[in-house]
Amino acid sequence: MNYKTEFADGITTVEVTGRFTFGDHSSFRKLIEEVRGHESSTLVLNIAGVDFIDSAGLGMLLLARDEGEKTNTTVTLRGAQGQVRRMLEVARFDTLFRLED
Amino acid sequence: MPAGGESRAKHLIAVAQSVAQEDVDLLFDSKNIWHRPDDTSVKYAFGPTPEDFSSQSRFSFCVLPSQVGRDWLGSLIRLNCEAFVECFPELDLGDLAPVAGKKPLPKHDLMVCLSTRSAYHLPVARKFVTSLRHRGLIGDSIASSVEMAVQEAFANSLIHGNLELDTGGHLSMDRFKELGEETERRLASAHYGARAMVLTARRRKNGHIVITINDQGNGFIPPDEKATANIDRKDTTFGRGLPLIRSLCQSVNFLRGGRTIELTFDDGQTEKATQDAAFLTDLERRLATSPKAELRLPQNATILIADDTMLSREIIASYLRADGFTNLVFAKDGEDAIAQIKEHNPDLIILDIIMPKLDGYAVCKAVRADPAYAKTPIIAQTALEENEGRTRIFDDGATDLILKPLNKAELIARTKIHLENRLLVQRLQAYQERTQSELEIARNMQENLNPAPEHYRGVGMDYGMRISATFQMSSELGGDMWGLVPIDDHRLGVYIVDFAGHGLGAALNTFRLHSLIWSEQLHEQAPDVYLQVLNRHLKGLLPVGQYATMLYGIVDRQKNVFSYASAACTSPVLGNSVTGEARYLDGSGVPLGVVRDAQYETREVPFDKDSFLLLYSDALIETTLDHGQFLCEQGLLTMLQDTVLEGGADIDLAAQIADQFMDRAPAQLDDDFTIVSLQSAMIPAATASNR
Repeated sequence: MNYKTEFADGITTVEVTGRFTFGDHSSFRKLIEEVRGHESSTLVLNIAGVDFIDSAGLGMLLLARDEGEKTNTTVTLRGAQGQVRRMLEVARFDTLFRLED
Repeated sequence: MPAGGESRAKHLIAVAQSVAQEDVDLLFDSKNIWHRPDDTSVKYAFGPTPEDFSSQSRFSFCVLPSQVGRDWLGSLIRLNCEAFVECFPELDLGDLAPVAGKKPLPKHDLMVCLSTRSAYHLPVARKFVTSLRHRGLIGDSIASSVEMAVQEAFANSLIHGNLELDTGGHLSMDRFKELGEETERRLASAHYGARAMVLTARRRKNGHIVITINDQGNGFIPPDEKATANIDRKDTTFGRGLPLIRSLCQSVNFLRGGRTIELTFDDGQTEKATQDAAFLTDLERRLATSPKAELRLPQNATILIADDTMLSREIIASYLRADGFTNLVFAKDGEDAIAQIKEHNPDLIILDIIMPKLDGYAVCKAVRADPAYAKTPIIAQTALEENEGRTRIFDDGATDLILKPLNKAELIARTKIHLENRLLVQRLQAYQERTQSELEIARNMQENLNPAPEHYRGVGMDYGMRISATFQMSSELGGDMWGLVPIDDHRLGVYIVDFAGHGLGAALNTFRLHSLIWSEQLHEQAPDVYLQVLNRHLKGLLPVGQYATMLYGIVDRQKNVFSYASAACTSPVLGNSVTGEARYLDGSGVPLGVVRDAQYETREVPFDKDSFLLLYSDALIETTLDHGQFLCEQGLLTMLQDTVLEGGADIDLAAQIADQFMDRAPAQLDDDFTIVSLQSAMIPAATASNR
């Protein structure tokens, strides 16, 4: 998994690409720490470029959400496609996140 | 029959060059691989990368280097081999040994054994599933489900099994951090990190595919089966996978005290794959028996007469002999009939239904069950007049029926008709087989138009570049080609060509162009002039309506530039190995062979010590991937950037992009696929074999 962050007008957008699985523990931790410094009101995770996610990856998304709650940041998942979209549906993530196309 | 006598043959083992000979010896002398290592003789073939092994060779094992990287994981789809083992000093498979199975035959259709520390960082599940697709073991349609299930099961066996990490309870950020650090510690430890992960796949006769994932941890007790796939947000990061796995597979079993998870998948398409496999075995067998099955006159045909009474056999034989059929073979009961069929492979069988040991029905069934005799005509002779017996013998596979007592004229007439049919079928088959083998030769010739790995790697080093390439031909012959042209000690020419269409016509055109390229000594001309000359020649050679796209470029190491001209080639990508940033270059221009006086333009871009260049055929960007779309322009750039950032300058870029493409593309490509990368590198790369 790789990511690029952008911060503008109180909104942090993170473009995540590649596979997002259990082995991405440390890169995801870095992502969270980086984003935390922005103190933005909205965190948009653009996952259009993610082609595979496993349940550990879903768990990490939940962790981002928990972190967001602590700092009053809304977490939005944007652009899920293919297998990722299917996983989000199976896990009923629509009830936990704001999902955008 | 070619079968048998194979067990004593030498095993050919593909070995990554960075593995020391004595470590491979130790590996194959241990009981990890074979039940009786002393009884097995091995021969090693070493290669610096997976591309270096010939696709013509068949390997019993492939030995991967310790700390396997993505490059060697790619061997799962590149090598003609079913068993892959990472060679690391602590490997001790314990109750999983020997991985070759108890018998000297491969037990699995695919087996991969990795250390936990390598497996953790690699997309193992994905590559395993891609490999299953490419081997025809699963269809493209269920691949996504299989991958999801394997990924979950694999993560569970690795994290909970081998690393013995407890991920239970609510996952806070602190806990997550702690877990991450503990994971790193355990991966580095000899105790946990050096445990093995073994994945196997096997296709059952019923078409089901059985995948096992085996660890060396403490075993896992599966929780309640009724748990749903809904994720409770209070739950942990890991271990929610099981309900998901259950929803994706036909069945899930735990073996070895919970250290093996066995997943079974049912795939409508596997049936097709099985049939394809059966067809291939059939073809192989026919080719093996073809010297015997030479075209013959009906009178030269071998005819088997199976009847339990000697008198009947003699009567039939005398009728046939009187008409010139002299190659007669006899069987006195059903079992004998089958034995004679196997020995003589007759062209026609005249079969009595009521016989001792095995009756005619059973013989028919047995003969038809063997693909080698699926089309051998069988004339059943019977005194039965009742309809039931007559219908049954046809159901069981008889070609025709003749009533006892036999009428001589009728027997001869039916014999001749069926033999003539058979000869026609055989002629047709022989023709198809010959065309097939000629196509095979043409394919090999075409593959040989492209540089071999040791060649392009060596040439690359001469110019301070790491060159990598992958070429995969479509199901038929194709029209892709690429090559390197050393001009002087600081300039290297490179070309990539794609003829419109594929099949024999396109292949012939690649041969034409290849000889033009190598007969014209114009390589040091400016690329635009070069393409103009080539175009003029090609226009004269090509029939109207046939054309090619091509790029010819020169990397100049002294001036640090890449100058090129393009004839409608796909846009090359120029990137930076340090930042991973990349952009498309202009690929526009008139295709070759369209107009006689086409003009081209030489374009020049900087190419320095951090640059890389990617050339590819349109299959890379015009193949529908697993998400139902082509790889978009931005998608390729992102893939390149991610790959470069993860691997640095020290990777075979084209091979890695090809591997990622294959993970997502259908197993059978419609068009040729070529990808070439030239990457500035700090040469010598002698120490650069790992990571």
